[in-house]
Amino acid sequence: MSRAAPLLPREDAREAALFFVVCALCFLAAFSGLIARAAYAAADAWTSEVAGEITIRVRGPEADTQRAVEIIAKTEGIASAHALTREESEELLKPWLGAGGVPAGLNLPRLIAAEGAAGAGDSVAAALKEANINATVDDHETWSADARRVTGTIGLVALSAVALLGATGIAVIAFATHATMLARRDIVELLHLSGARDDFIAGLFERRFLMLGVQAGALGALLAFGTAAFILFAVRQTDEQAWLLPQLSLSLADGLILGLSPLIAGAASMFAANLTVKRSLSDMV
Amino acid sequence: MPDNDLSTDEPVLRLDRVGLSYGPKSDVLADVSLSLRPGSMTFLTGPSGSGKSTLLRLAYLALRPTAGRVSLFGVETNRLRRRDLAPLRRRVGVVFQEFRLLDHLSAYDNVALPLRITGRPEASYRQDVIDLLGWVGLGDRLEARPATLSGGEKQRVAIARAVVGKPDLLIADEPTGNVDEEMGERLYRLFRELNRRLKTTVLIATHDMALVRRAKNDVLRLAEGMVVRVPLDQREGQP
Repeated sequence: MSRAAPLLPREDAREAALFFVVCALCFLAAFSGLIARAAYAAADAWTSEVAGEITIRVRGPEADTQRAVEIIAKTEGIASAHALTREESEELLKPWLGAGGVPAGLNLPRLIAAEGAAGAGDSVAAALKEANINATVDDHETWSADARRVTGTIGLVALSAVALLGATGIAVIAFATHATMLARRDIVELLHLSGARDDFIAGLFERRFLMLGVQAGALGALLAFGTAAFILFAVRQTDEQAWLLPQLSLSLADGLILGLSPLIAGAASMFAANLTVKRSLSDMV
Repeated sequence: MPDNDLSTDEPVLRLDRVGLSYGPKSDVLADVSLSLRPGSMTFLTGPSGSGKSTLLRLAYLALRPTAGRVSLFGVETNRLRRRDLAPLRRRVGVVFQEFRLLDHLSAYDNVALPLRITGRPEASYRQDVIDLLGWVGLGDRLEARPATLSGGEKQRVAIARAVVGKPDLLIADEPTGNVDEEMGERLYRLFRELNRRLKTTVLIATHDMALVRRAKNDVLRLAEGMVVRVPLDQREGQP
């Protein structure tokens, strides 16, 4: 004899459609989450690469460059400073000028690379000015701030999309629960009149939609992972290109986003089902 | 099955000047008062549309009255919160007019449903359910789905479901309405046996005046929104 047959019968057609919708929403939410994570990671990568680095361009005679290195090295907050050789300067220009290099007769700007604490750029500029050396100091702060603002905006938009998709998911589940309740009002009424408590009846729907949410969420997260992996493969950069954009990769945080998606989808489904069923039951005596 | 122990003479069901209306000029019940003694068996008769089913719905707490008081087992239900009604409902077994069996469940699972919602483990009631289905003559149809059962068999599954929790009050709405005379008589004997063996208080709404006359139980007649007790010698004629 069969045991403990489910009190709610399966509604194949309706649940297949709902499964698809929840799966699609989870895919979009997880993918948006990955985009947000990538945006913040890119901002970190870009800014951390240049954090503490100061580039000084000396415009005066050659002798000023050596004198500037000595002054900069002694400036408070500076850990090291050295004048770039012609080869090092050419290496920097390679992405623009190609592997052919810089023509031998072409004068290159005289550059000094220094490393130091944040804010040391101002001290360097003041020291060089005091020594009467015509130089431009760039501590990349303006560029870093711009990069952070752009990636922060992308991240915020992506997180808003996650929130919107989450709310849409809850609304869809609530609608589906309501439809299921209407379709099986006979069961709900019979249980209610037999003395079942609201929590018991709500629990039937909660379990049904929890499973649906988790399964659809898992599939959606898997699809998001597949899509992200495909994109990473498609836009992978050579080492020569990697200086411009941070190298994208899937990290532990991405795994967390993907792993949590089914759980969040399940919990949201449960929440929506509970709310809808209890609200409907409150209309009964 | 063990006998029910109703140790008090408090009416099992008491309606005191109960009215129910869906608007200013649509009284379904105007002024209904009745009282059922513990262990009694009572027929509720009345013409179609007189409000018998509505009165029963008030009794099994599917509706609240718009006037008057409904008391179950000595508890005035009007003042109870929704969540406090569930324990009272568990003490009432209902045989619905249209059976209300769940199509996707077997006869066994349909009968076990009131016990299942209490959270009891299945092992604790499995044999009781099987015995009960045997008692109503369906011991060989445990796995049958409602769609494969005859009208009489469905009715007996519905009765088994109503009594499986050993209710203090059994309410049946036109239980013989969808079956032939012979089956009607068998069902009546089933109710009478429940009433006598378990001391379950039984309230049956019916059109079947022949059955009412044969039965010689208490009879209440509902007409024009009011209930009157019908003496034994005045049970001829129309419901």
